[in-house]
Amino acid sequence: MSAGIIAMMLGVSTLLGALGLAALLWGLKTGQFDDTSKFLDAARFDGEEELKDAVLMEEKKKKALEKKKKVMPN
Amino acid sequence: MSKVKCDHCNLEFDKSVMIEDKIDGKKRYFCCKGCQGVYHLLREEGLDSFYEKLGDTKLNPAAKKEDDLEKFDLEGFINRYVKKRDDGFYEINLIIEGIHCAACVWLNEKVLHKTPGIIEATINYTNNKAKVVWDPEEIKLSKIIQTIRSIGYNAYPYDPKLQEERAIKQRRDYYARILVAVFATMNIMWIAIAQYVGFFSGMRRDIKDILNFAEFVLATPTLFYSGWVFFKGAYYGLKNRFINMDVLVATGATLAYIYSLYAMFSKSGEVYFDSVTMLITFILVGKYLEVLGKKQAVDTLDRVLGTIPTEVTVVKNSEKALVLVENVKVGDIIELKPGEKVVIDGVIINGSASFDESSLTGESEPVFKKRGDEVLSGSICLDSVVRYEAKKDFSTSILSNIISLLEDSITKKPKIERLANQVSGYFSITILSIALLTFIGWYFYIGSFEKALIIAISVVVIACPCALGLATPMATLIGIGVAAKRGILFKEASFLETMAKSTILVLDKTGTITKGEPSVITYEKFDDFDESLVLELVKNSSHPISKGVYEFLSKNIKYNQKEIKDFKEIKAKGIEAIIDGKKVVAGNKDFLIEKGIKVDIDNQNSLFLVAIENRVVAIFELNDEIKEGAAEAIEKIKELGIKVVMLTGDNEKVAKKVAKEVGVDEYFAKLLPQDKAKFIDDFHRSGDIVVMAGDGINDSIALSCSDIAIAMGSGADIAISVSDVVLLDESPKRVYEAFKISKKVFKKVKQNLALSLIYNTFAVPLAVMGFVNPLVAAISMSLSSLLVVGNSFGIKLKDKK
Repeated sequence: MSAGIIAMMLGVSTLLGALGLAALLWGLKTGQFDDTSKFLDAARFDGEEELKDAVLMEEKKKKALEKKKKVMPN
Repeated sequence: MSKVKCDHCNLEFDKSVMIEDKIDGKKRYFCCKGCQGVYHLLREEGLDSFYEKLGDTKLNPAAKKEDDLEKFDLEGFINRYVKKRDDGFYEINLIIEGIHCAACVWLNEKVLHKTPGIIEATINYTNNKAKVVWDPEEIKLSKIIQTIRSIGYNAYPYDPKLQEERAIKQRRDYYARILVAVFATMNIMWIAIAQYVGFFSGMRRDIKDILNFAEFVLATPTLFYSGWVFFKGAYYGLKNRFINMDVLVATGATLAYIYSLYAMFSKSGEVYFDSVTMLITFILVGKYLEVLGKKQAVDTLDRVLGTIPTEVTVVKNSEKALVLVENVKVGDIIELKPGEKVVIDGVIINGSASFDESSLTGESEPVFKKRGDEVLSGSICLDSVVRYEAKKDFSTSILSNIISLLEDSITKKPKIERLANQVSGYFSITILSIALLTFIGWYFYIGSFEKALIIAISVVVIACPCALGLATPMATLIGIGVAAKRGILFKEASFLETMAKSTILVLDKTGTITKGEPSVITYEKFDDFDESLVLELVKNSSHPISKGVYEFLSKNIKYNQKEIKDFKEIKAKGIEAIIDGKKVVAGNKDFLIEKGIKVDIDNQNSLFLVAIENRVVAIFELNDEIKEGAAEAIEKIKELGIKVVMLTGDNEKVAKKVAKEVGVDEYFAKLLPQDKAKFIDDFHRSGDIVVMAGDGINDSIALSCSDIAIAMGSGADIAISVSDVVLLDESPKRVYEAFKISKKVFKKVKQNLALSLIYNTFAVPLAVMGFVNPLVAAISMSLSSLLVVGNSFGIKLKDKK
């Protein structure tokens, strides 16, 4: 086997692994793993309804913000 | 009678006491109005899938909560706890009480999400903390709290600025570092395997260079990112003129790294990048476990702080006003309602009431106070409205003193770790000096700087990692396991070492030496009567003596339910009621005499007399019993050469009696929480290493000041959280066992260190003579580790005998 192929294989696999690691670190930094048990339960409870709920909350936030802007036009 | 489950909280009760309710043609049972209300509410909101998620988990019954909602909208409260965000929303951190399972978290979030005006609500299941963001124009905080209460939970705020943010940040930081280290180790391992195999079967130089370079890429972030903790630790250690384990780890890893760099670029010799990453990873994981322990302490402190009122009712010119605690001046008249916590010290000028002072003295029995008596902050007014004059302001009152002391002590704790690392410190110095001597020796012998340096580095590399890194952790880990089996939980490995070196044991009386609650020691019956009457009476009272009698009776008699009317509890005196048409009076001697009943008994223990229809029919004698085996355990601890001292908040007379019975020579009575801590500091000053055992809030400052704090498993949350060792079954015998185990472990640690030292004296000369190759290094490392592990298991074997 030529040295070039080994170097490439090592490089690619390490890079792929590093990408996964980076994603994990990002998740950690944004607080997605702060609550271990809830993070696991999410797999059990998450469904269509939870998704709707999340969308609803976002809309609610948007509306509240818009309302604020109207009250204070400056 | 059959038992049925409450359909909301899943607790089981007799069918006869349950509330029956017909819902959709099906019979439902509830244990109380609260549970019934919640059940209806959830059905109406379409949230009844909660019960599917809940399964068989038992909840707290949804009791009705006190009426204090308006306090959440007060300005002082908002200023302290609510964060006003830039986008105009308000944010608060709450602790939700009553969360038992994931379904509870789901329900709370769901209900909050449905409430208009709430923008964001996330609840952490592990520590029950919630962050809620809302629009102040749409909803008030009191309404949010009310919503949470309406579904059977309770919420109180805490101030996250205190410590939590820092703790979370530290934890995340460590976690990220570990992730990087573990990733690098896992990848470097398989590259290393190729290299080991290549060492035997031969490997082409160009392929070896590629593998070396791949290892270098992986080892670099591990050493400089994950290993940063050790560099920092080593720096602070050296700054304080102290060589710790961090110094050795940092030097070992760095030297191995530099040597490997040299080997890689000069294309000669073997690289040690794999040792570098493994060393860093394993030791870092150990450190992370310590950080986790600290985080928990912070959680419980928040819980205590959250229950402190922010406002008190001040009476001025016969007008009542709520005033911020910080604004109360000396001389103000403060009104206390039943159930309120005192936050400012003062003297009663009007009325009388019983006070629960358990958080100050540790005694569970309420203290009756009347005009002219002193009320202390931290106690709770139990049964009537009282007005008192403030004698101090908030910041000088006992309560805020206790809190600031506790905050200090939690952050001060690390000094113990330094003590525990001493042995490894000596070892580090030895190894480093040997390496230095080798370098000097070779330099003068062959005169080549380069060769001498490489050999010196190989000495450190071969001696440093495994055996030494394992010597202490392995022995302590097994020691912790042995202790845990007996109900002794050491929170951190290093505490075993500190405990083994201790010279003095300080014991709290109530709850540590004694059981902490009065129990019946004699029961005398003068007349034949139905004991169910008495049981029914004491069942209704929460006074510790009534509880003691209840405990005794419910074990010894068959109970028939009775009808009870006109129940009255007279503070610190007794109870009376009409049961099945008979007048039953019970309480202390004075109370019965007051009621016109003839009594002629004299006794120094607490007495509980029962009279039916004005005739004394029975006497219960109660006493705070000394725990089984206390005297024996203290005797044995003394034999280990440890001085035993008792500190208590109780009075001199009781203290003397208990001290004599269990054989404690030195005791101090009538101590307030700070006094206890002062004693601990005094012992420190005279050079003692102090172990303290206690259980109450009143002990927590002293506990956190001591080198090793032992808390009883059923003790106050705060006491457990500041402690280093928790005893699950609370027996004094366990304190002795904890001493014994820690001494044994410490002996093993020393043996292990000696072993790895001896082993290294064989391996190091090989390195000194320049015979080191990867094979010798690998074998010596794993063999010395195996030796240490095997020796540590000796703790377990001996324990069985």
